[in-house]
Amino acid sequence: MVGLTLVALPVFLLGWLIVYPILSAVLETVFPAGENGARALSLASYRFFFSDPYSLANLQVTLWTTLVCGVLLILVGLPIALYLRFSQGRFAAYVQAMAIFPMFVPSIILSYALIRTIGPNGTVDLILNALGLPKLPTPYLTPWGPVIGLVWDNLPLTVLMLTAGLGQISNASVEAARDVGAGPFRVFLAVILPRMANSLLVTASFAVLGIFSAFTLPYVLGPAAPEMMGPFMDRTFSDNNDPLNALTQAVISFGFCLVFGLFYVRSIARNQEGRP
Amino acid sequence: MSAIPHRPVSSAAPRIAKPFDWAGLVFAILLTLVIAVPLLVVATWAFTEVWRYPSLVPQKFGLRFWSQTLSRADVWEALFLSLRLTAVVTALSAVICLPAAYAFARLKFPGRNLLFLSFLASHAFPKFGLLVAIAGIFLHLGLISTFWGVVLIQLVGTLMLMIWVPVAAFQAVDRRMEEAARDAGAGPLRVFWSITLPQAGPTIAAAVLLTFVGTFYETEGAWLIGAPQVRTMPVLMISFINNQLVVQYGAVLSVMLWLPSFLALIFARRIVGTGAFARGFGA
Repeated sequence: MVGLTLVALPVFLLGWLIVYPILSAVLETVFPAGENGARALSLASYRFFFSDPYSLANLQVTLWTTLVCGVLLILVGLPIALYLRFSQGRFAAYVQAMAIFPMFVPSIILSYALIRTIGPNGTVDLILNALGLPKLPTPYLTPWGPVIGLVWDNLPLTVLMLTAGLGQISNASVEAARDVGAGPFRVFLAVILPRMANSLLVTASFAVLGIFSAFTLPYVLGPAAPEMMGPFMDRTFSDNNDPLNALTQAVISFGFCLVFGLFYVRSIARNQEGRP
Repeated sequence: MSAIPHRPVSSAAPRIAKPFDWAGLVFAILLTLVIAVPLLVVATWAFTEVWRYPSLVPQKFGLRFWSQTLSRADVWEALFLSLRLTAVVTALSAVICLPAAYAFARLKFPGRNLLFLSFLASHAFPKFGLLVAIAGIFLHLGLISTFWGVVLIQLVGTLMLMIWVPVAAFQAVDRRMEEAARDAGAGPLRVFWSITLPQAGPTIAAAVLLTFVGTFYETEGAWLIGAPQVRTMPVLMISFINNQLVVQYGAVLSVMLWLPSFLALIFARRIVGTGAFARGFGA
């Protein structure tokens, strides 16, 4: 009984500020209040979203950004994690520190840094110019701006989670494969990859959940139109003062992330089973 | 002749030659370019007075923009508001979550595992969508653009860290020492105060510090619920970017505000290093 009393307050907050808003968002958009305040079943706001070219363009750029970031994160994070897991080289500590560093850089400071670095007349331009090379088109205010920012921002968690996943693979199994003559690629494909499939999927799910509704980086670094779901929801809610459509967009985001959310929950549940 | 003694170039004992860590060198160089350079650029801008394209280095260094930034009233207002907000959120979060973390770690009660899991599961939703859903609730309650509205929305974001990390800390405490103290006649409060807390303390302190820093930089909830009336430091920085004010203002603020984050980095190394975070996120 003491235990339940101690956890009552955070559980109440969880119910009031997470569970209830989600249920309420679904109810308010499926049963919107009419002119006279009476609620009736109507999917009009969803029909609007899926027939409005601008909303669909925003959804599309969000899906594109999420996919590209997810792939880039795995492509960049996996080699770093593999290196950290299997190398005792002299640079390992430095590589780890650098890969985790972005965790301690708030995204607003990162936005500033990236604007000055890859923005118009930024450092990259300065260096290209000094080398006598032509300017590259800046990714700032294009869909690639948020991609660069989000990959930067999500790299530490990706590397940490993949390294944790690789930690569960025993040295013995890798050495056994090497002893029978398997090269590095063969070891990776036949021994490592199957054993870390789960942690790869968790890492990807977590990245997707974070990126799909990212706000600050797409808002600051991305184009004004089409915009990602985060800035889109913000503008619909605040600037357009249109909570019904903002909530509809939120519920649609929940829907698209549902699979990844379920996968994440299943994985943490499995992790918890072995604990006291 | 020279006062500097010659060092032996290598020890005489035969060593197994280790191959040079080429992969590590490549990763180190690439990560430095990608991670460190943008931050160094901002730091340079903060101490720059004139930097015209296409010069590689600033034409004039100086502290002029520090005094200009620090003489802006909106900067000080935002700073004090942020500090007040962060202190309130962190204190509330600690008061609410730490007893719960102890209960989750040590006490048996019905539904314990399910409830604990549900805190982790709150991360299974896309965050900004969740914030919009909360904002929908706050709209009915009149909490939009209020101090306490921002406190509540930031409080939600701290729950998981403030429960997950302390639970691990309480679970790591040596139970035998507690039993020994109890055998020696110490009451439960005395055991908690003298045995449990000192062992779990450093990790909990790190969790509190991380919560403080994380809340200080929390941008999305503050922007959605608070802006434009409740202007925290990150919200002010966004408006600096939007309004294309002098580059140096943002750079100065970035350098100034990054200091607390740096302290957190030093203190939090022990938590991050053990991979506790990664496990918390389900890896």
